[in-house]
Amino acid sequence: MQLVIQNLNKTYANGVQALKDVSLTIRQGMFGLLGPNGAGKSSLMRTIATLQEADSGSITLGDLNVLTQKDEVRKILGYLPQEFGVYPRVDAVTLLDHLAVLKGIRQKGERTDLVNALLHKTNLWNARTKNLGGYSGGMKQRFGIAQALIANPKLIIVDEPTAGLDPAERNRFLNLLSEIGENTIVILSTHIVEDVKELCTDMAIINKGQVLYKGSPADALAEVSGKVWKKAIAKAELEAYRKSHHIISERLIAGRPVITVLSEHSPEDGFERATADLEDVYFANIFGHAKPEPVA
Amino acid sequence: MFKDIFLFELNYRKARAANYIYFLIMFLLCFLAVTTDVVQIGGAVGQVKENAPVVIAQMIVIMGVFMSLIASAIMGVAVLRDFEHNTEAILFSTPIKKVSYLMGRYWGSFVVLLLVATSLPIAFMLGDLWPTREADRLLPFNMVTYWQPFFVFVVPNLFFTGALFFASGALSRKSIVIYTQGILLLVLYLASQSMLRDIEQKEIAALLDPFGVRAFSLYTQYWTPGERNALQIPMEGYILYNRLIWVSVGVVVLVITHFSFSFNVVRSSIFRSRPIKEERNQIKPEETKIPVARQFTGLTTHIGQLAKLTFFYFQMVFKEIPFIAIVISGMLLMFLNAINLNELYGTSSYPTTYSILGLLSGFNLFFVIIAVLYSGELVWKERAVNLNLIIDAMPMPDFISLTSKFLGLLLVYLVLLFGLIVCGVLIQASYGYYKFELGVYFASLYSETLLFLVLYTLLSMFIQVMVNNKFLGFAVAIAFFILVGFLGQMGLEHPLFQFGSGSLGTYSDMNVYGHFVTPFTWFQIYWFAFVVFLFALAVIFSVRGSEAVMRMRWKSGKLRLSRQLVLLIASAVVIFISSGFYIFYNTNILNEYSNSDQGEARQVEYEKTLKKYEFRAQPRIVKIDLAVDLFPRKRDFTAEGYFILKNKTNEPIQDIHIQENPASEVKTEYLRFDRKNGVTEKFDKFRYTIYTLEEPLRPGDSLRMDFKTVFQTNGFVETGRSNTQVIFNGTFFNNGYFPSLGYDRGFEISDDNDRKEKGLPERERMMERNDPRGRAMSLFGDDADHIDFTMRISTDKDQTAIAPGYLVRQWEDNGRLYFEYDMDAPMCNFFSMISARYEIKRDKWRDVTLEIYYHKGHEYNLTKMMEGMKDALDYYAKNFSPFQFRQMRIMEFPRYATFAQSFANTVPFSEGIGFIQKVDDPDKDLDMAYYVTAHEVAHQWWGHQVMEAGVKGNAMLSETMSQYSALMVMKNKFSEEIIEKYLKYELDRYLSGRAFEQKKEQPLALVESQGYIHYNKGSLVMYALQDYIGEDSVNIALKRFVRDWGFKDAPYPTSDDLLKYFRAVTPDSLQYLIGDMFETITLFENKAESAEYRETGNNAFEVTLKLATEKLRADSTGIETPIAINDWIDVGVYGKSKAGKDSLIYLKKHKFTQKENEIKVMVNAKPRKAGIDPLHKLIDRHSDDNTKGVVKKGEG
Repeated sequence: MQLVIQNLNKTYANGVQALKDVSLTIRQGMFGLLGPNGAGKSSLMRTIATLQEADSGSITLGDLNVLTQKDEVRKILGYLPQEFGVYPRVDAVTLLDHLAVLKGIRQKGERTDLVNALLHKTNLWNARTKNLGGYSGGMKQRFGIAQALIANPKLIIVDEPTAGLDPAERNRFLNLLSEIGENTIVILSTHIVEDVKELCTDMAIINKGQVLYKGSPADALAEVSGKVWKKAIAKAELEAYRKSHHIISERLIAGRPVITVLSEHSPEDGFERATADLEDVYFANIFGHAKPEPVA
Repeated sequence: MFKDIFLFELNYRKARAANYIYFLIMFLLCFLAVTTDVVQIGGAVGQVKENAPVVIAQMIVIMGVFMSLIASAIMGVAVLRDFEHNTEAILFSTPIKKVSYLMGRYWGSFVVLLLVATSLPIAFMLGDLWPTREADRLLPFNMVTYWQPFFVFVVPNLFFTGALFFASGALSRKSIVIYTQGILLLVLYLASQSMLRDIEQKEIAALLDPFGVRAFSLYTQYWTPGERNALQIPMEGYILYNRLIWVSVGVVVLVITHFSFSFNVVRSSIFRSRPIKEERNQIKPEETKIPVARQFTGLTTHIGQLAKLTFFYFQMVFKEIPFIAIVISGMLLMFLNAINLNELYGTSSYPTTYSILGLLSGFNLFFVIIAVLYSGELVWKERAVNLNLIIDAMPMPDFISLTSKFLGLLLVYLVLLFGLIVCGVLIQASYGYYKFELGVYFASLYSETLLFLVLYTLLSMFIQVMVNNKFLGFAVAIAFFILVGFLGQMGLEHPLFQFGSGSLGTYSDMNVYGHFVTPFTWFQIYWFAFVVFLFALAVIFSVRGSEAVMRMRWKSGKLRLSRQLVLLIASAVVIFISSGFYIFYNTNILNEYSNSDQGEARQVEYEKTLKKYEFRAQPRIVKIDLAVDLFPRKRDFTAEGYFILKNKTNEPIQDIHIQENPASEVKTEYLRFDRKNGVTEKFDKFRYTIYTLEEPLRPGDSLRMDFKTVFQTNGFVETGRSNTQVIFNGTFFNNGYFPSLGYDRGFEISDDNDRKEKGLPERERMMERNDPRGRAMSLFGDDADHIDFTMRISTDKDQTAIAPGYLVRQWEDNGRLYFEYDMDAPMCNFFSMISARYEIKRDKWRDVTLEIYYHKGHEYNLTKMMEGMKDALDYYAKNFSPFQFRQMRIMEFPRYATFAQSFANTVPFSEGIGFIQKVDDPDKDLDMAYYVTAHEVAHQWWGHQVMEAGVKGNAMLSETMSQYSALMVMKNKFSEEIIEKYLKYELDRYLSGRAFEQKKEQPLALVESQGYIHYNKGSLVMYALQDYIGEDSVNIALKRFVRDWGFKDAPYPTSDDLLKYFRAVTPDSLQYLIGDMFETITLFENKAESAEYRETGNNAFEVTLKLATEKLRADSTGIETPIAINDWIDVGVYGKSKAGKDSLIYLKKHKFTQKENEIKVMVNAKPRKAGIDPLHKLIDRHSDDNTKGVVKKGEG
């Protein structure tokens, strides 16, 4: 089963074009959707999650038309929105059980086992009877993950799931996802390049509603390998370099700006060839074609 | 620092759209209230001009109360805002002083609040200057009228409520408090009002009312129309004290806020938080396997989901603090109202189930609030907590979300209604009443109330979904209700346009739900189909996911159009339309329908076309012989028989004018005379026909008119308009359904303002006393003088049918019961036909049979009513004249009307008064059953023995004399305290009644059907008269009056005639009383200014009183002028009786000739209280200052 997105377009009422002719094919396994804030990741994910209409284009999941057979899709969907809240005066067990009923887990015994397992899995067992209103950001996020895993979904969409998690929780979560991702389509949107690098077999980079890159992280790395040049410069020079070179990223190292440029050859003296990183791929795609913007 | 914060606050608020919206809302409400009829707040009555100071002040005061809702929103957030936006940590770490911070915020917000509140005076000013206003109903524009009440009431109110809301916002730091405290304050306020309703506590209530409404009404309650037009509301008396009290409370609240407010960001919770238990068992998330759980779809699963969600939302609503607060306030209000259940002159009734249901209906307001508020809350629940995307992605059908929210609320209602029933039963039990009619409770609450809630909930959910903005949704819901009202104003009054129309009507023990069930059912089907249709639309358009644009919602909505949903919509539409047609067929085709404009137009046309015949000489009825057949189950009757008409004039009569009853149920099957005649003119629209006799009817000649009137109930009309006289059990109607002679003035439009609008001349309410046309007709009209009366009346076998006269024969035929009544002496042309399933209580007074026909179960007061009849007959026979009948009967009729009425030897008496009254304390409570009985029996003399002329002052002869007669019977029976209490109510009713006089206040002798004069002032005046000249003298006068005027045909006596008899028995020194009491409007301002005593010996005390008295004469608008005084007035001194109560130890009339007086009297017990006119025999607008505590000389 694979998810095929073809020529998807979406313009909001305020004129913002969120999706421009997006086409992607997503197979089972982890798929990373990388892009800056406001790139259209969430719009795309909401559309796949049956929560938003497209102006044109199509999405199919196996035999299902995602845009019209919404109920069918929802049965096999696990969705964790980017931002979500909870009923504050309800505890985790109750709400998870509630959601499991809505997912169609009718048998009481099975539901209880499932809820307990999910709470264990997301390390919320000790806080299960606490009102959700008292949860920390990380706990709430883990609760969100738990609910997305109800009923063995075939399609899991997680929108910025690692935001707000501490490093240990993040690892645990990513492990969990990769465990599940073996026979499931998992779409993970993030603006953190590391997440994708560590987990995904496939990825896409989108910005301003457009797919800038699609392929595997390895291919992406190969594409820029040997073309990444870095140079440490003085702050005063920054403006001049911005004008003269196509800078894809700037960052401060020990207080001095280090600029990164994408080039087949050494751009000029002082630039050193750097080991390509997925982040470079990301910046190259985001800023490589357009006018660079300062990052730091 | 204060200044910076203050200015910052103003600037910040300047940019908030909400403040402008608040201004606009209040402005529009006020503006529309004065320029249109859409919004109704207070308003002017009769001669009071529409912009009279009191009228404007009242509207500003009322709207000022509602301003507290806005005060709650504006003042509550002043400090809370910092907590909501999480700016408190930044702000509190700056070096601002607490007092500057708090006061800056308070005064800044307060100024904004005041600016919003200026919408009230500005709107009223503009409204009064608006060109569409009628100049002759307005006073000249006066700025003070608008701003004085603003500063006297609104500003102090807002200072107090503002301080309160500011404090609760700052101290609670919870936004939910802000949203609910305004409503809560209003609710508590309303609740406290009902507690302070009793007349005894008016002064305390005036002080305790935080909005000053009570102080305002206490101060102005007895203002006459003239004063209302002239006087501004001053800052004095109770108004001043009230304002001082509440402004001080506001200051105290602010001071408390200052000391309680903490600049700390984190506060220690009032409740100790539970220690969090750490579970020791090791959990290894990595090793946990997620078990396989089977996922189901299909109907069973969906029903399970629906049930789960329903119960979930139900619990959620019940956990909401505002919900609990609303419910508790509602219940509180009910219990408070239960304290003085159905009071009439301070006497309660038995808590029958229907009266408890009336009490419970006070909760409906809270139900509406809950329905509108929580349908909004639930529709927005997931979005409010931001859980919507998760829930929306769950695999459940689209209808489940909204449906479960509706069912959750439905469950809430079911539980609340059950709670109400429990409350009702508890209230009944607390009164020691154990006849719990659970069936009636359930039938009423779980049909009418529940359906009304269902309609409002589904409508409000639809609005919320379509508008897709919670607060706008609330606004649209309110706008919808206003719009519905507006449709009515536009002439679309038909109940098919009035959302939720169709009520179950008044419940009566006798007639149960009666014929109202049918229209109720049809209207409920109609509206239910309507809201189901709306709800289906809501399901289609409800937002699932993140699309809020209508076009996109329709795009996803189209996918939801399952076969079932389409079927539901189609059937809802079909049922809506077909039930609508069926209702229309019943209300408009089977029955006649006209809206009020059309009705008025017809009245106008009637007057314009036929007024010329008003005084056309007609023969009079001298004999009536009818056979009436009642069919209670079909709500039909027929009446067939004849009238004998006699020409009592001196001229021959050629034309006979017949007016048939215009009700659409009534048809005249035939009407013929026993002389040759032809129809000259026929006005079908008015059911008015002029027959011309070939041979004129010569003076003294008679002719016979045979007719058959058929009353047929066809289909149904809406509850409010349906006939409640011809019914299943408890039919009671009078001869108004039968043909009458000549033009009927009663069809004319009577209100002068309406007449003017329609281009009709102003008209006098009644004819002058010396008008020969008036003197020639009795109070029962000009169709007859006295008549011979015979009636055969039949009804269903299980009912008893009653008409005036004596039962001659009774038989059964073909499953029906027949009764033949015959009156052996002439009687007036006013007779009732009654039929119901009756129990009978019989007794005898001398050789007169007494009977009470009552509904089984209403035995409570039969003995008292019987006693009332006997005592009354005793007194009247002894003091006035012999009783003219051999029988006296009282019969109960359903509570659709609440009066008792006297026909010849027959008194129909409403189930709603008397029959269920409960006298708790015979020493304190007035026995209404006894009193009303005595009053109605008195009419057998005043009205039946002596018929008065149909001119000004006529009711003085019948009603006032009956009041007097009943009062004398009561005086013999009850304690002085009860009579005093009764007179106090009468004084209050008279003074309040004249304050709202529509046209002009008349002296008693010229009363024009003004109840507050002929009943309430009548009681006071007659009580005083018998006190001044003696009961015996009054009775001698009345005895002579009956002797001379009893049983006479035209011309009939007037008040002028009666007063001659009173004058004849009044000593010269008191002759002025007749003029003061009957022929003018005379009031007194009596006041005890000081009272001191000196002990002059053993048990001898000299009391020195400084008494002020002023005598005033009022004109017809109530403008008073002082006149010279030369009057005898009571001076009284109270001591202490053995029981420890105040008792009069001195009471004597003194002559007063000037305003200020000093009087010394000797008493032989220690005086406690003394003063002038202590028993309130004279009419005094400030009757509470007549007496004063007596102090020892030198001490005070």
